[in-house]
Amino acid sequence: MPVNFEGIREFARIAQDPQELVRHARGNIELWANLFVIGWAVAFMLWQGFGFAVIVGTVFAIWAILAVSLNLVVGFTGLLSVGHIGFFGLGAYTMAILTSDPAYEQLRTEAIPTFGWPFFAALPVCIGLAGLTAVLVGVVFNRFRDDIFVLVSFGFAIIAFNVFLNLRSVTRGAFGIHEIARPEIGGWVFDGEVEFLLLALVFLGLVMLVSWFITTSSFGRVLTAIREDEQAIEVFGYRATHFKLAVWVISAMMTGLAGGLFASWTTFIDPNSFILLESVLLVSIVILGGLATIWGSLLGAMAFVLLEEGMRFIPYLPTEYIGQARQVVLGILLVLLMLFRPQGLVGRYRL
Amino acid sequence: MASNRESARGLPRLINVPGTRLIAALLTALALGYIAWKIGQAPPQALQFAFNGLAVGAVYALLALGFTLVYSTVWFFDLYYGAAAALGAYGVFYLRTDPSLGSRLDINSIPVNVIFGTVVAGVIAWTLHTVLEPRLRARASPTALRTGVALVAIAMGIYTAIVLSYPEHLHLTLSPAVGLATAAVGIVIAQKVAHEAVSTANSTLVALISAVPAAALGAWFGYLLFGTPEAGLYLSWGVSCLLAGCVGLALYRGLYVYMRERARSPLIMLVASLGILLAIAAFIVIVFQSAPRPLPDAFGSTPLNIAGARIKGFNVFAIGVALAGFAGMWFLLKMTSFGRAVRAIGDDEEVSKVVGINTTVIIAVVFFIGAMYAAMAGILTGHDTAVQPRMGLLLLLKGWIASVVGGIGNLYGAIVGGFVLGLVEQFGIWDLAGEWKDAISFVLLILFLSFWPRGLLPRR
Amino acid sequence: MTVDNEALALQTEGISKHFGAVRAVDELSLSIPRQGTTSIVGPNGSGKSTLVNLLSGVLPLDGGMVIIDGVGLRVVHAHETPAHGLTRTFQEVRLFDQITVWDNIMVVLTERSLFPSLIERVRPAKRRKAQEILESVGMWEKQDSLAMELSYGQRKLLEIGRAMAMDVQTYLFDEPFAGLFPQMLERVKDIMKQMRTDGYTIVFVSHNMDIVRELSDRIIVLDSGALLAAGDVEPVLGSAEVIEAYLGA
Repeated sequence: MPVNFEGIREFARIAQDPQELVRHARGNIELWANLFVIGWAVAFMLWQGFGFAVIVGTVFAIWAILAVSLNLVVGFTGLLSVGHIGFFGLGAYTMAILTSDPAYEQLRTEAIPTFGWPFFAALPVCIGLAGLTAVLVGVVFNRFRDDIFVLVSFGFAIIAFNVFLNLRSVTRGAFGIHEIARPEIGGWVFDGEVEFLLLALVFLGLVMLVSWFITTSSFGRVLTAIREDEQAIEVFGYRATHFKLAVWVISAMMTGLAGGLFASWTTFIDPNSFILLESVLLVSIVILGGLATIWGSLLGAMAFVLLEEGMRFIPYLPTEYIGQARQVVLGILLVLLMLFRPQGLVGRYRL
Repeated sequence: MASNRESARGLPRLINVPGTRLIAALLTALALGYIAWKIGQAPPQALQFAFNGLAVGAVYALLALGFTLVYSTVWFFDLYYGAAAALGAYGVFYLRTDPSLGSRLDINSIPVNVIFGTVVAGVIAWTLHTVLEPRLRARASPTALRTGVALVAIAMGIYTAIVLSYPEHLHLTLSPAVGLATAAVGIVIAQKVAHEAVSTANSTLVALISAVPAAALGAWFGYLLFGTPEAGLYLSWGVSCLLAGCVGLALYRGLYVYMRERARSPLIMLVASLGILLAIAAFIVIVFQSAPRPLPDAFGSTPLNIAGARIKGFNVFAIGVALAGFAGMWFLLKMTSFGRAVRAIGDDEEVSKVVGINTTVIIAVVFFIGAMYAAMAGILTGHDTAVQPRMGLLLLLKGWIASVVGGIGNLYGAIVGGFVLGLVEQFGIWDLAGEWKDAISFVLLILFLSFWPRGLLPRR
Repeated sequence: MTVDNEALALQTEGISKHFGAVRAVDELSLSIPRQGTTSIVGPNGSGKSTLVNLLSGVLPLDGGMVIIDGVGLRVVHAHETPAHGLTRTFQEVRLFDQITVWDNIMVVLTERSLFPSLIERVRPAKRRKAQEILESVGMWEKQDSLAMELSYGQRKLLEIGRAMAMDVQTYLFDEPFAGLFPQMLERVKDIMKQMRTDGYTIVFVSHNMDIVRELSDRIIVLDSGALLAAGDVEPVLGSAEVIEAYLGA
């Protein structure tokens, strides 16, 4: 549940007594994690100014959509998927091909199909295609669990990357696709960064709402039971494979949506945005934030985005290595989490 | 408890549908038929593809050997294994880049040398401590023992840092180490032989007697090495493998041991090692930058010509290394008490502990050897194509696939699976473009998991 | 014959299960009548748990047929067994560890089909039912703790409660008494007696002969995967071959 009213009420009661508050705060990692990340975000905004914060905010919104949707699979259903970047790329490429500027594309070397659709017509196709692919992939992957599932999901990410890179007649390979359309409603284009941030946040809100609805329904309870003991839940009359397939498809559709949004935001994509490493980073975000909570995924995505900015404080670190330094920190954080806190910062489920 | 382990590693059951075996047989027949048809169409080309397949298969086989050794002992996927391959390859790059390929000078080497020196010092300290402590407990005070171990370890760490600091003089800096190692191996072999011949032989006496010729042999070896700067490349292989192995051992002893005590599921270990892989890959990019770099040619670039197909001399060498690696592993696992201990731990770790096997030491050595195999595979890949920071994860996945294809936990399966994967990849790209080979190997994996989940040669 | 079938809750015809060379269950044919309690006993490794796993579809059959409630099945799918009126507990307690006690009960009360379950929220009727079950196994106060935080006896009770929540005709209890303290043991016995009077069919596996004598109306003795004896309790337990199987093993 994203909003825990009981918790808030409890917190309000504790907050009235300062000494109680101190006692409560000590050793409460969840509270510290929340305060730290949110405080950091606020400090960052004050420090860097609004303009830059908007861009970082959009990056955060896209990562957060990805993390929330992946958490449905990893946190709630217990399938450690490293392959979601494939659905992300599928959504992005669908958006790119459907909405890129035909006039511009014709001038380039290799001809790829162009359609010149508007954003809001293409987005459902992104979601639908990702869902359709997820059905096909899911039917095959449904039989695998644990380690082997990780392996085959690695495989899916690599196959998807191979397709993006090598199917040149559709994706233009390493050259990438330019001039992807920004969203527009009735002539009003989401051209500015602020407008796009708002749009991304609306989609993030929608994704969170859907996730919240799913995880608080009976369906969500069955998912957690599948995570705990798939064989036992079968004995009680549930077809675990159907439930796993359903959540896999839902999650993939949300990821496809994030892909469409991403392509439209950057207006240029190439296969390098969809390498395996990105998928691994995404999994780390979900685990860092917390398994089986929606709020945790937001927190993880925010921490991940801010981590890059925090790296700028490290002395003598050339700017081109900031991404790498973040990766080192993230790797070490993962190890520490697995040692001391296998449920992530605010998680509800220990791996 | 076999079923427990099977579920622990998430291997699926064979699909419970009647026609499964028929489909599997059909698929096999189709694949073999396709290959036969291709071979009939253009035999020389087929031979060429077969050579290529064997060449990459050798690397995959090495990877699968190490991977299957580690996995069938501890039953979790250690992703550091991929990082070890990259570390090994970059180790050679670090030590042997000739100036014509881009100077080594742009790499700020001091922190790297210090880091690896520290790792080696730690590993040496732990090794000496575990070896000496039970034997000398009665004779030496703990303080003296600890001081001695610490001094030796620090000396070895400094020595490592020095070796790494002067890569152009590897043959000089390493000659005493090689000489000493030769002498030590000579003494140990003499002891074993004497023990085999006369079971009551006094080992101290044998050691004393054999020390003289062994020392002479070692000195001669060291002297030989002193005068051969050409040996630098091969020495750099050894150093890289040892360093990657040391990091693997240090990771196991320093981290995994504690993690395994409290881990609920193998996924915890997997995620933690994923973090290590991420960190090491990024570390490599920071030190060496992300562009692919070539390694110097090991055996010249002129290919051999066999029946119209060409194969690089280096690839023949790689196949030889894979076979040697297999032979070494076979000897280690089937012929020594170490191998029996490894098998026992793989079957049931708790029971092995109870019957008096020092599981921590055995598993640490397994990690050391596994990482060395990975590093060797990484080095071979680096010489064959190029080194790049991302190579680790892909090599790891290939090793993983090869061991699933061959049958997880089976020594023979590993080498068969490696070569099968290499051949399938190469014959698969005959009609497609070469860029699809990673996709092909994963399709092979999914087919195997669906129709032969236990691989070609199942464990036992 | 039809009348006979009506009276049978469970029946097997020559079912087999092999693990490699080991024949865990070998051409086993038996029948369990409707209502009352039937106990399955036998030495260690005689195939009792395997039999329960085969009946509930947790393990696939290697041969033969299981007849549940008059419906013959050559392949038993675990997820179909509740529809035939069958549920079970596990020998090694298998709760859903990292969800709450409350959710452990609720999860078997909710919608089975995919799309209705997506929109289903907890309904008052099901809430009452869950409360009833939790109170009957004495876990109402524990409803918000995670299942993994319970003691062994509580876990065992909760698992039985979860099976009861299924509300089917036939219950398979695999070692429901193993490792329980006397107080808990009495509680489980009371629950089973209550279920017997309510007219359910109970099949349980046990090693404890006193409880078997006390609770069961009929008894089935297995040895090496084959039926050794079946029928009323005292004559079966008194027969020479059963005594020999126990003492000889």
